[in-house]
Amino acid sequence: MSSTKRYWKDLGELHQQPDAIKGRENEFPQDLAIDQVLGNSSLTGASTGRRDFLKFLGFGIGAATLAACETPVIKSIPYVNKPEDITPGVANWYASTFYDGEDFASILVKTREGRPIHIKGNPRFGINRNPALPKGSINARMNSSVLSLYDGARLTGPVAKGSEAPTTWADTDKAIAAGLAAAAGKRVVILSSTVISPSTQAAIAAFKAKNATAEHVQYDVISYGGVTGANLKSFGKRVFPSYDLTKADVIVSVDADFLSSWGSTSENTWQYATRRNPDLAMNRHIQFEARMSMTGANADVRVPLKISELPKAVVALHAHISGNSAGADAAMMKATEGAAKALMAAKGRSVVLAGSNNEGVQVLVNSINSILGNYGSTIDLDAHTHFKQGDDAAVAQLVKDMNAGTVGALFIAGVNPAYSLPNAAEFKAGLGKVGLSVSFSGYADETASLCNWICPDHHYLESWNDFHPKVGHYALAQPAIRPLFNTRQWQESLLVWSGSASTYYEHIRSVWQANMANRGPEMGLFEDNWNMAVHNGVLTAPVAPAAAPAVFAGDVAAATAAAAKASTGAGDFELALYTTEAIGSGQHANNPWLQEMPDPLTKITWDNYVCMAPADVEKLGLNMYLGEQAPASLVTVKAGDNEITLPVVPTPGQRSGTIAIALGYGRGENGEKVGLAACVTDHNGDFKPVGKNAYVFTRLSEGGVNYDVLNVSVTATGETYPVAITQTHLTAMDRHSVVKETSAATYKAGDKRAYNHPHELAVHEDVNGDGVINAQDKKPVAEFDLWEEHPVEGVGHRWGLSIDLNGCIGCGACITACNSENNIAVVGKDEVRRSREMHWLRIDRYYSSATTKETAKKDGLGKIDMYLQMEVPEESPSVMFMPVMCQHCNHAPCETVCPVAATTHSNEGLNQMAYNRCIGTRYCANNCPYKVRRFNWFNYVSEKFGEVNPAWDDLGRMVLNPDVVVRGRGVIEKCSMCVQSIQAGKLAAKKAGTPVIDGSIETACSAACGTGAIVFGDLNDKKSMVRGLADSDRSYHMLEEIGVKPNVNYLVKVRNTEEAAAHYA
Amino acid sequence: MHSEAAIREPLILGHKTYHDITQDIVGPIENKAPRGWYVLTTIAAIIALYGVGCIMYLLSKGIGTWGLNKSVDWAWDITNFVWWVGIGHAGTLISAVLLLFRQKWRMAVNRSAEAMTIFAVIMAGTFPLIHMGRLWVGYWVFPLPNQYGSLWTNFNSPLLWDVFAISTYFSVSLVFWYIGLIPDFATIRDKVTKPGMKKFYSILSFGWSGNAKAWTRFEEVSLVLAGVATPLVFSVHSVVSMDFATSIIPGWHTTIFPPYFVSGAVFSGFAMVQTLLLVMRKVMKLEAYITIKHVEYMNIVIIVTGSIVGVAYITELFISWYSGVEYESYAFINRATGPYWWAYWSMMTCNVISPQIFWFRKLRRNLAFTFFMSIIVNIGMWFERFVIIVTSLHRDYLPSSWNMFHPTWMDVGTFLGTIGIFFTLYLLFARYFPVLALNEVKSILKVSGESYKNEAAKHQHH
Repeated sequence: MSSTKRYWKDLGELHQQPDAIKGRENEFPQDLAIDQVLGNSSLTGASTGRRDFLKFLGFGIGAATLAACETPVIKSIPYVNKPEDITPGVANWYASTFYDGEDFASILVKTREGRPIHIKGNPRFGINRNPALPKGSINARMNSSVLSLYDGARLTGPVAKGSEAPTTWADTDKAIAAGLAAAAGKRVVILSSTVISPSTQAAIAAFKAKNATAEHVQYDVISYGGVTGANLKSFGKRVFPSYDLTKADVIVSVDADFLSSWGSTSENTWQYATRRNPDLAMNRHIQFEARMSMTGANADVRVPLKISELPKAVVALHAHISGNSAGADAAMMKATEGAAKALMAAKGRSVVLAGSNNEGVQVLVNSINSILGNYGSTIDLDAHTHFKQGDDAAVAQLVKDMNAGTVGALFIAGVNPAYSLPNAAEFKAGLGKVGLSVSFSGYADETASLCNWICPDHHYLESWNDFHPKVGHYALAQPAIRPLFNTRQWQESLLVWSGSASTYYEHIRSVWQANMANRGPEMGLFEDNWNMAVHNGVLTAPVAPAAAPAVFAGDVAAATAAAAKASTGAGDFELALYTTEAIGSGQHANNPWLQEMPDPLTKITWDNYVCMAPADVEKLGLNMYLGEQAPASLVTVKAGDNEITLPVVPTPGQRSGTIAIALGYGRGENGEKVGLAACVTDHNGDFKPVGKNAYVFTRLSEGGVNYDVLNVSVTATGETYPVAITQTHLTAMDRHSVVKETSAATYKAGDKRAYNHPHELAVHEDVNGDGVINAQDKKPVAEFDLWEEHPVEGVGHRWGLSIDLNGCIGCGACITACNSENNIAVVGKDEVRRSREMHWLRIDRYYSSATTKETAKKDGLGKIDMYLQMEVPEESPSVMFMPVMCQHCNHAPCETVCPVAATTHSNEGLNQMAYNRCIGTRYCANNCPYKVRRFNWFNYVSEKFGEVNPAWDDLGRMVLNPDVVVRGRGVIEKCSMCVQSIQAGKLAAKKAGTPVIDGSIETACSAACGTGAIVFGDLNDKKSMVRGLADSDRSYHMLEEIGVKPNVNYLVKVRNTEEAAAHYA
Repeated sequence: MHSEAAIREPLILGHKTYHDITQDIVGPIENKAPRGWYVLTTIAAIIALYGVGCIMYLLSKGIGTWGLNKSVDWAWDITNFVWWVGIGHAGTLISAVLLLFRQKWRMAVNRSAEAMTIFAVIMAGTFPLIHMGRLWVGYWVFPLPNQYGSLWTNFNSPLLWDVFAISTYFSVSLVFWYIGLIPDFATIRDKVTKPGMKKFYSILSFGWSGNAKAWTRFEEVSLVLAGVATPLVFSVHSVVSMDFATSIIPGWHTTIFPPYFVSGAVFSGFAMVQTLLLVMRKVMKLEAYITIKHVEYMNIVIIVTGSIVGVAYITELFISWYSGVEYESYAFINRATGPYWWAYWSMMTCNVISPQIFWFRKLRRNLAFTFFMSIIVNIGMWFERFVIIVTSLHRDYLPSSWNMFHPTWMDVGTFLGTIGIFFTLYLLFARYFPVLALNEVKSILKVSGESYKNEAAKHQHH
């Protein structure tokens, strides 16, 4: 039954009044102004009220604003099919190999989401592995090489001469085939750096098979022709031997910078370091040299000699050892007497190395080592290396033939002769006469830009390759990323041009398969071996022991005569050319991390310069003190027809009368695009190469290229030039709580207080129990606490670092590793000059001064004079290297002064920095006694710094570690002890359900330190290595007496001076 | 009304009536400004604009436009800050401390000194702001409730104490100054005839009626504020000094700093008062009110505080040796003989040696010499802060980090700019505000006015 009830709204409706009936038809009782506002009626006629207008206005603006407020959409595309092993946010490590024609190392490549972002030494396999740690030893050039993968100047495809745009490989191959056909009958030469890859050799062989006149010439940019030539003359083998410094009780080096540049440095460094532990049998290292090298800085005894005296020193040393003093210089006999005695006392357990590329000198060295019985123990000629196969004579002949027009085609791989040859001008002239010239360079560099074709090679991180660094030792390189550009590996190009259809990867596998087959059944299945080799990066094969040690058969008299020739100089100055730790021979000059890495000794970045003894600098009236506003004096160095103008840097330890200039600088002099940092805008606003090319001074002489120029003149130009130095002060001012150093004898005596005296404070209680309270009642400062101590001991983790001043050789691999891991901004020369480099980790270098507090007291020297004299290094100083990063103080002075608590202490002992909270008062940096805090003075990720900072362009940005934020302008930053790695390691342990295992977490610096000088770990783990070191007798805290209680400790440096000096008595 | 001993020098010279005083102080506000004022104001404003430009440039580019580096993270910025805060000390000292001690001579100088204080503190406050790497988040120094969980300011940090000390000091000084201005504004309001000006001063004077009740309250408030302001005179610079004293840097870590800084601040503050007043008294013809005696009084304060500062310097040197701390001792030897020896000896000469000349009464009362000395002291006190900040930082614990500081044109520009802004503000003040506390001065006319004193002396002889 339906209801008939009616409901009504008001009385009007009830009484059916006409207004009410009319009104019911409308939804709203009143008329709305909508029509008037939104309708087509003219605005002037509208009767919209002010209030309505404002309402609509307000709504309109509000709606528009809200609509505009949508958060930006960041597209993050997940994998449709997740690639095996790739989990976003989790790093993958791949074993690979670094070989740039000069240095070799087995490495691990860290990739994130398919991008290589970090490189460290392979801790499990390889000749550069330090088994005692275990860690892989690599240098700064190696771990920085990941950055050059993302260099915007790399060629994106094959280029014909004169054209800007890349062409296709098909066209290129066609053109080159035509060129090769035209070159028939003439010399066809593949000019490369030393090839140690069996598969590359096979590819070259295939190319030779296809082209009847093809040949392979190897060219070492830094020639070792003297060494390999001497081995040919002495032992009938043109090889570079293997050295085993772990067996050497005594190392005598005559100008061989074996820790930085000479020989196989990635092996030398760790081998040397294992013998520098004073708790084990410590070696004795005596260095004769003219310039202060990094190796010399580490020596127990360093004897500065003139360059012309060095060959004489070898002759004299030979005379001492052989007992035949014919032709030996009396003064040198005296200088080498001690070294000879030390060597004689360690027969078969010693080694003599010489840096000279003079064959005569090297024959004499071979003779010395032979007499000492070092072959078969510290030197191995049987399991020799395959490095340094370059043939300077063949290269010289090639240049001649090129100019004679008898070279039809030239293929250049891995070398840059137009830049680095002694006769580069002739080479360039000759190159124009070669019918077909092809460069495999990844850049249109000095040589490549002159070639008909550039067929750019992959970066090594995009490549497959194999290596045979020494007898019985194989290594593999696997790609860590797909090729970024349309490049092709040069070996593959050779295969293509030889008519092979296989890729280089297939080629390597076939070569390996063939080689394995030769090894017999004990090698197992090829596939297993191959997979193992790819996984490990390394494959070792047993080496048959040598039947008998090699017998020296060289001509000593002829060698002495040749050495004598190398020691005749009559100029004002003698010049030594060397390669630096950062730049090497110059192929890595385009790497901003390396350019900004301070030189181990001079602490100069972004330049090469003339190293000169301070006494000579003073004599010539040049600028002695360099700094932000104290530029260096420019001089013109002239040898023969060649001259270059460079700034002079006073270098303590440089032998007076000699100068030294680094090679490898001055890349891209003619405007070639050689890479990101090789050329930068200088202080005058000109875009110029960094430094000057000193290869112009090299000379081809008998046996090899000569790097010593005995007759140069130095003239001041009267002009100055700003240099960028990261450490302007030279000495440690005898501050014992900063650096502690002792002799091996004092250390061995066992009294800790003699070499590592703790700071003590007198207290008002009877500490020593003699019944009286007096000044003798003292407690170590470590027991005092101004504040409540952080509850760190025994509670959870307490992360710490231990730094062995004996282990640190100053190489700086930790600095670049830190750059790579922590996205440290590169700031460029001008900012470094203003002391604004951003490095979280630095290596302090201190020269000794003749005046100490003790001598001043003895001499009755006043304090003011004492301090002034302590600022001056002695003429032949000893050197200390001290890596300094944030000390993670438990009573951190920075934490108390930050007004916004942006820097705080973690419950794991870390001093943490919250960039987002930082307002940039820099009070923390002022109050840091270690001065490790760095401020972002500008927005370093901006166009202004785009020239040098890889974080600026899209390609360079790919190298950034996604776990570490890129800091913006106005905030402080500093070492975090790689907190991202700590967190990752803790997470891994948690997932595995185990405690954090000592050694499973490494900071970038500790992982990079192949000498084991930097050890990271949990100080609360009583069994950890770092705790053991922290509790050892040599351990001390820097500036212990100020009571900041750091979590970083240092181990006193021990020099084997007494023992070494005893042999000089 | 009490009378004053005849041997005291009169504080108001000549035969002044109440009307004369009003006329002398309000006249310059009513009349057209002399051409000199326009010239000076233009120069000051140009420098001020240049400074503002520098600050804008600094804020747009980054702190790197200053010459700071990894070892010397503070230099001219904090030097200028402390220098300006120090200058800002004299005003409150004169108006508060001297009020409590019933020093009548303060009445002629307190107004300008307080104005100087206000402007100097504004300039001082600029530096901690602009020296921040990220000024836009500078408000985080205030303990503001926020949604970041437990994020709070760090009450251990002396910089935070600074925030409170400076802002308190500024607000109290401003209130104190303004309250003193109210009756004077009312006088101007009553005197001026132009309607615009009348309106302007009428707003500023808060409807001051001048009745006895108002005067009583005025006196009471002044006394209370003087009581509040007096501890601030000592606290502000003590707190500023703790920025350094609580640190661990040799040369900063010194317990003597609070009293040493306070006396240094008074020293420099009075010097700046002299610099300003000696010019103003001449230009605005206030010789009758700011007498030689006033100048002498202030010179006496300068000699006393200068000597305290001198003793502090020598104490520091002594302690650096006596402590036996290697770093401390080196820090002071380095100050005197290191690369910044010239700054140290400039400081010593300007602050310790030269004020001693004021022992000679003749020189103490010589206006030209006083003016010269006031500049010297201002320079000296700037160097004092520079020496403390830069020479301590440039060579601290690790010789590897030893460095030099070189100012850039931006360092110079920002500093000059603040001087320009300061003088612009001060010139505007001198033009539009009563430069003397005219009502207060009137209160001593019958006691310390020259003609009245002479009259009284005559009567006594009878």
